[in-house]
Amino acid sequence: MKKLPCFPRELSPEVASNKKFTIMSIIKSMLRYSVALMLAGVVLLTGDVAARQVTDGIGRQILVPDNPVRVVALAPSITEIVFALGQEQRLVGISQFSDFPQEAQRLPQVGSFIRPDIEKIIALNPDICIAIKDGNPREVAVQLESLHIPVYAVDPLDLESIMTMVLQIGDLLNVGDRAQTIVTGMKLRIDRVREQVTRTKQRPGVFFQISVSPIVSVGKGTFIDDLIQMAGGTNLCAGYSSYPRLSREQVVVLSPDVLIVSTMHQDVSIDQIKAEWAGWSQIPAVRDGRIAIVDSNIFNRPTPRQVDALQQLVRVIHPELFKDSP
Amino acid sequence: MTAGPNKLLLRMTVVSAVLLLSLVVALVMGLSLGSTHQGFDAIINTLMGQSPSDPMLQAIIWQIRFPRVLLAALVGAALSAGGLVFQALLRNPLAEPYILGISGGAAIGGIIGIILGFSRFPGVTLMAFAGSMCTLMLVMIISSGQSILKKDALLLSGVMINAFCSAVIMFLISMTQDARLHNIIFWLMGDMSMTDLRQVGILSAILIPGFILFFCLSHAMNLLLMGREMAMSMGLQLKTITLTLLVATSFMVSATVSYCGLIGFVGLVIPHLLRMVLGPDHRILVPACILGGGAYMVLCDLLARTLSQQGEMPAGVITALIGAPLFIVLLKRSNR
Amino acid sequence: MTAAVDTIKISLTYGKMPVLKEVSFAVNRGEFFVIIGPNGSGKTSLIKSIAGIEKPQNGRIDILGRSLSDYGRKALARKVALVPQTAPVDFPFTVAETVLMGRAPHLGLLGLESESDVKIVRQVMAFTGITELADRKIEHLSGGERQRAFVARAVCQSSEIILLDEPTASLDLAYQVRLMDLMEALKNDHGATIIMVSHDVNLAAMYADRLLLLKAGRIMSVGRPSEVLTFETLEKVYGCTLLVDQSPLGDFPRITLVPGKFKLLTGSGNRHL
Repeated sequence: MKKLPCFPRELSPEVASNKKFTIMSIIKSMLRYSVALMLAGVVLLTGDVAARQVTDGIGRQILVPDNPVRVVALAPSITEIVFALGQEQRLVGISQFSDFPQEAQRLPQVGSFIRPDIEKIIALNPDICIAIKDGNPREVAVQLESLHIPVYAVDPLDLESIMTMVLQIGDLLNVGDRAQTIVTGMKLRIDRVREQVTRTKQRPGVFFQISVSPIVSVGKGTFIDDLIQMAGGTNLCAGYSSYPRLSREQVVVLSPDVLIVSTMHQDVSIDQIKAEWAGWSQIPAVRDGRIAIVDSNIFNRPTPRQVDALQQLVRVIHPELFKDSP
Repeated sequence: MTAGPNKLLLRMTVVSAVLLLSLVVALVMGLSLGSTHQGFDAIINTLMGQSPSDPMLQAIIWQIRFPRVLLAALVGAALSAGGLVFQALLRNPLAEPYILGISGGAAIGGIIGIILGFSRFPGVTLMAFAGSMCTLMLVMIISSGQSILKKDALLLSGVMINAFCSAVIMFLISMTQDARLHNIIFWLMGDMSMTDLRQVGILSAILIPGFILFFCLSHAMNLLLMGREMAMSMGLQLKTITLTLLVATSFMVSATVSYCGLIGFVGLVIPHLLRMVLGPDHRILVPACILGGGAYMVLCDLLARTLSQQGEMPAGVITALIGAPLFIVLLKRSNR
Repeated sequence: MTAAVDTIKISLTYGKMPVLKEVSFAVNRGEFFVIIGPNGSGKTSLIKSIAGIEKPQNGRIDILGRSLSDYGRKALARKVALVPQTAPVDFPFTVAETVLMGRAPHLGLLGLESESDVKIVRQVMAFTGITELADRKIEHLSGGERQRAFVARAVCQSSEIILLDEPTASLDLAYQVRLMDLMEALKNDHGATIIMVSHDVNLAAMYADRLLLLKAGRIMSVGRPSEVLTFETLEKVYGCTLLVDQSPLGDFPRITLVPGKFKLLTGSGNRHL
């Protein structure tokens, strides 16, 4: 649906051979109540570990430890989720640029999201790695699995699948309850936003800029496009490809009511952005001063904080709904 | 006074032995060092196969680093030997293995493969190879109006094709927005991570016969430098040998580039460096370039892996950073 | 007795341009044979054809009784050596190494030379007087020294026939004579057949057993110097005024150029004295 597939949906050769191992029966509720059982920290790579077969986030049948205690998170969003689930003590390695929460930065880094360092991963002796389908290179997963390190892949494509991902990781780490709580909380807040949005018929035209120079926006099928729709806005670039590059003239023609800029650079200020667009007062957003900067981390990462992003969007797109609230 | 035959054989043996030793040392270093730090004793034990140390170290050394250093050695050997052969064939000191449009075609093929989402092997590799064969054929066709043996025609066509390909590459890059952009850039700068013994096996099956061919034709390469007419008058089958060397070298360089992206400055610098030290006789230079080029690449790759705390650099960056200044130094030396 | 070289009606064209037109002649074994003629007459193309480097479209060339096309390259190189007009300047080898390469037609795959090869090289270098240049690089030599090195290389091929294309063009007077003496010695002492292209008619007259005069790809005259070098023939071929008389040094003609200013002084045109 969204971008091109990176991971094979078929079984990797190693996984196919896992079926030869003893399959221990699992019951979902047993996992929820057996958190207390933690194996003493002796975990060998050679499969003495109590293991169970699960279906991972992209439909593969893999063998994972009953109780993973040496987890490597291959993406910053995974790190966030593990921390949100309160299971950071299981983490032995995280992806570079895992900057949320702050405490995460004390953990050993295993290379970036796009280029994980296999050597560092292996040196940490993990019992499972959690990877994101669209982004982590397939070769890395293949190589890890050939060394008998299971890789649990997830595929967050929108808010729904982010919530599914939280539940999946929660199950994996034996904290299904906790995961459910988080997801319930997310659902509540999302429903609240939906309800708020129904109170108004207006759907202002939104131009969401993910890059200042060149001007790059978001098209149909991206996270942000979904968020804009849910927040009661109209994504003016919905007809374009995923990340279209536009000229200023094209933005003028689109005539957005709201201009939102997400930036990774801390030093770009709202005044700078306003100055960039200052001369273009034909654009309603500029004329009315409806320009906002948002933190790209919560917008770009598939984590529960996307709901924060959603709430932020609603405030920017429909300020009139919040006139009376603090 | 004159170099007698025994002296030549002696020199060949000594040079080969010394460079083989340096290659072995480089390989051991490449196996022992990496982005993680293991105890030196543990490494020696693992390398000697004694006391089966922990499987994690085994995995790192034999499954991660071993294929990689082998690949680096093969790549360095192929690029150096390829550069040497082209310099002899085209009688031009600026000749390097990418000169016949091979790099441009391979890059375009590889980039398209990455954009289409193929995995590194075999998808991107095959696309890159196909691309380089296309540009090679294009170069041969363009320059076949004049005699294919007229070296200038080949050179100029190659330069033009490479320039055109650069434009196409820029275009493709500007069209790519997401994570594939990183992949593309890394591949363009030379990337030897993500390899396994099977791939190394395939590449060595292509390269090793080529190396043997080069060695057998090394005396012919000496004669080639005399010019077309004199070479022919001394019994050289000029057309056959030139075409054979051209096709074999292009094939080998294409295969190499398809695996690891564009690693530059090796094919240009190593032959010149070795020629300065060892003299112009190709019977000594061919094995020297193969072994010395291999050792050089293993070391460059090691630096690429370990130099930066932020993570691995593309190997091509290291070869450029070392190679370019080295070449300038060589140039100044030879002018004196 | 078989001729060293026998060309039978060879014609050669470069693209549309005819260079040699039905050239037929024979060179005897052990002969000093010189080809002369104005620029563009096809001398170089003729030598290259005999060397097997150019392939005439028509006609046949026999080398020592066998058709040229029947020879493999290496076998041909053992019978015919060539000193082309231009030698590469940026050749990175030393003189000794260069001369040693002349043994290539007799060597195996890697060109590993044996003791006897080295001995031959030493002898040839002494013969050609370049022993003291042995370890110097070709690219550092003067034009004349370089030429001598490449000639020595050709001599090392131990071939019966030696072809030279204007070998004296870049040499000092002294070395011009030395080279011609060298070729003569090879002929006399070793029975070599020398086929040389020369632009120096007088030198040719002094050394050649027979001459071939080419113009515009056709043979104008073949025979002994005194037969070929007549002022009628030469004037027709070279298109300028010449004075042809008997050389004071021996039984061969001497050709002197007569620029315009001298015609008035002598008061008459060509004269055969």
